[in-house]
Amino acid sequence: MPIRKTGSTPDGKKEGGQQPPLSAVLEENLEQIRARLGNSPDLVIRHYKSMIHEVQVAAIYINAITDKNLVDTYIEQAMKFEFPGEGVGIPAAPGDIYSYFKTKAVSIGKLKVIRDLNTLLEALLSGDTVLLVDGIAEALSGMTSGGEGRAVSEAATQVSIRGSKEAFTESLGTNIALVRRRIKSPDLRLETMTLGAITRTDISIMYIKGLAREEAVFNLREKLQHIEADSILESGYIEQLLEENKFSPFPTMYNTERPDSVAGNLLEGRIALLVDGTPFVLILPATFFVFMHTVEDYYQRYDVSTLIRLLRVICLVVSLFGPAIFVAALNFHQEMIPTPLLINLASQREGVPFPTFIEALMMECTFEVIREAGIRLPSPIGQTVSIIGGLVLGQAAVQAGIVSPAMVIVVSLTGICSFTTPAFNMALSIRFLRFGIMFTGAFMGLYGIAIAALMLVAHMCSLRSLGVPYMSPLGPFSPGDQKDLFVRSPLHFMKTRPRLTRSKRGRRQPGAGSS
Amino acid sequence: MRKESIGSFQLFAMIVLFELGTALVVPIGLESGHAVWVSILVALPGGVLLVLIYDYLYRQFPDLPISGYMRRILGPAVGWPLGLLFVPVLLYNGSRNLREAGDLLISASYDKTPVIIINSIMVIAVMYILYMGIEVFARTAEIYFMITMVMGLVCNFVVIAAGLVKLHNLFPVHPGEWLEALRSAYPNIWIFPYGELVCFATILPHFKSARKVNKVTVAALVLSSFLLSFTHAIEMSVLGADIYSRTTFPMFTTITLVNVANFIQRLDAFVILTLIIGVFFKMSVYCYAAVAIAADLFRIRDLQKLVLPVGVVVLLSSFVSAENYPAHMADGVVFLERILPIPCAVVPILLFAVHRLRLRFKLYR
Repeated sequence: MPIRKTGSTPDGKKEGGQQPPLSAVLEENLEQIRARLGNSPDLVIRHYKSMIHEVQVAAIYINAITDKNLVDTYIEQAMKFEFPGEGVGIPAAPGDIYSYFKTKAVSIGKLKVIRDLNTLLEALLSGDTVLLVDGIAEALSGMTSGGEGRAVSEAATQVSIRGSKEAFTESLGTNIALVRRRIKSPDLRLETMTLGAITRTDISIMYIKGLAREEAVFNLREKLQHIEADSILESGYIEQLLEENKFSPFPTMYNTERPDSVAGNLLEGRIALLVDGTPFVLILPATFFVFMHTVEDYYQRYDVSTLIRLLRVICLVVSLFGPAIFVAALNFHQEMIPTPLLINLASQREGVPFPTFIEALMMECTFEVIREAGIRLPSPIGQTVSIIGGLVLGQAAVQAGIVSPAMVIVVSLTGICSFTTPAFNMALSIRFLRFGIMFTGAFMGLYGIAIAALMLVAHMCSLRSLGVPYMSPLGPFSPGDQKDLFVRSPLHFMKTRPRLTRSKRGRRQPGAGSS
Repeated sequence: MRKESIGSFQLFAMIVLFELGTALVVPIGLESGHAVWVSILVALPGGVLLVLIYDYLYRQFPDLPISGYMRRILGPAVGWPLGLLFVPVLLYNGSRNLREAGDLLISASYDKTPVIIINSIMVIAVMYILYMGIEVFARTAEIYFMITMVMGLVCNFVVIAAGLVKLHNLFPVHPGEWLEALRSAYPNIWIFPYGELVCFATILPHFKSARKVNKVTVAALVLSSFLLSFTHAIEMSVLGADIYSRTTFPMFTTITLVNVANFIQRLDAFVILTLIIGVFFKMSVYCYAAVAIAADLFRIRDLQKLVLPVGVVVLLSSFVSAENYPAHMADGVVFLERILPIPCAVVPILLFAVHRLRLRFKLYR
């Protein structure tokens, strides 16, 4: 498995020359480690004295980021040479102790010999336990990372009625396991690297060899290697650092906390980017329509899923253009509204002192405030906010004659419509754009809205996500991909993978097409 | 810099949108009376012939825009000034489209908005898409092609469902009217909208598969011709020859008559949208052609530099060129008869003939 490592790898081969080497004197090494870590109280140093060669051995680890049991096993196994005669033999000389440890005694994973201080510190800080032996200028590290983490729980942001209830956690290892458990293929490839000069965050690229485009993987790897940041605290950092068009309101990377969604996307030839410390996994390349689909579309029957997808698209259009069209119709195109309704609307607006646009703007802003407040508050109070905000404020605003009832209907309808977009970041962008389009609607009526829509579509067509046009498969049009765009055709008909993300292996169901 | 390329369906969509552009909304071929739909079809063979000539020239010089192979065929001394003459014609035609859209909008519902505001907003959109490049333009065209088709389907369905179609407005077509249809077909409809496809001689160099160019362009032309003919036939059958020839925008008048079950009515928005989309794409193609030819003539590598000047010229000439709409239409008649045939038909045919002759007598070095 060709794993390419970048940054300073634990065996320190890359920049081995310039680093301060370890000393042969144990006390000096320990002194230096203590100094570099600022005498941190969670640094644990256990001293042993081997009886056979009479050498000092020290085991170093950091409390709470290591697994206590693992550390104990490790040390116990390493010190086994104290009791010869159990079939393991005795190391001939003190210098052979490490190779003896490595080959004979220790069964802990990822044993590495370390020769310089920086690599040692890095290993220590990522949860390894390091053994130092007096008289040897080398150290042995074993992976013992562990400690407290959140257990796998139900997805909180991407809920589904049917389908897996598991969601990713903050631990990279757990997340990788969750995906691996779903795709038991030897072709599932994993590449890791460390990013962030200070945070040293572990990042994994995951793809299926033979399905993902080689050049896309290559490009992504190149781009990640050129990231210069001192901290990566969430996958959002990487998303923003990788974006090709910095000034676009549209997200060009999909994020999910559902392992089944990641698995599905990997199988369509996309690449997943897992970041340690966050349950949100990035998926790229992500086109616009990826944000409109959910995994559940594939779990439910195709007819129901198709209708729901169409509903989502309609809701997206309403949430983007709803208030704008309402304002435009009232200001410029009264003739488009049926006369009885127009009279009704006019009589409702009789006492309202503001122009329609201001009225709509006020209501939209109020809605955004209520929404934001509802998210930030703890959930018991959050509901109170929505009741006070939604019911009381809306009702009172109408009775006070500040807004007309029709406006309340329009604003709340668009608000609810915006919640049907499955991807939260896409819904945010749409909500943000709604204000701009509302302004053009108030300024130039339907004409303004049409021009704004034209420019918006042109802008979306100009975007690319990792080389894939954002609006594909609509523009550029690919007839084969229409089966999984607005409609979700029956699984029998989905024989090929998306054209722009897949590589050679296009067929999903081998042999299915031959009959 | 990577060469931008456009695919078959993208070219197809661009041509259809370009053809439908304004021709869908404004009346064309007035002389033919109620047989306008016939003359649109009669002009089709000539249109196909013209397009085949453009395609032939493109396949001979697959990397050059029209001004490029003009210089090759006629020599730089004749080709360069001739190419330069294309630019104002294209700009003027673009500004005419803009003018028509602006006037429809003002007559429809923007009677209090100054025409400069309406036109400049359109020009801003056109300049934006030209800045993005021809690839983005082609993708946008694809998406809007589908939107336009859906809207057209809805509008036609609604008009028919409302029971407005009176076939006696269309038939019978008398022998004398066939002659009139023929007369308005050539050269008028032949040139506008079919001959205007000469603009695509600047876009074709970006086309991906030169082998398929004939198929794609002819298919697009035939489809748009049928759509145009059908739409104008519907308009004619609803309004009758008399009203059809007197209204400025027959499609707009047609759609206002729709009333299905007292619920579906006032679909004017669709017509306005169709017009905005059509004019937008038509203007963009014209401006692109002007930009591409100018860039080729003056050896400017970066097309984006020319977008702003072209946009400003089109915007200004759109309301300076004619005092009012009737004057604009009168100008249009002269322009259509005297000037437009030269770049659309005369020059390409000339190029074709000279190129064949030079090939025949081996006059290329």
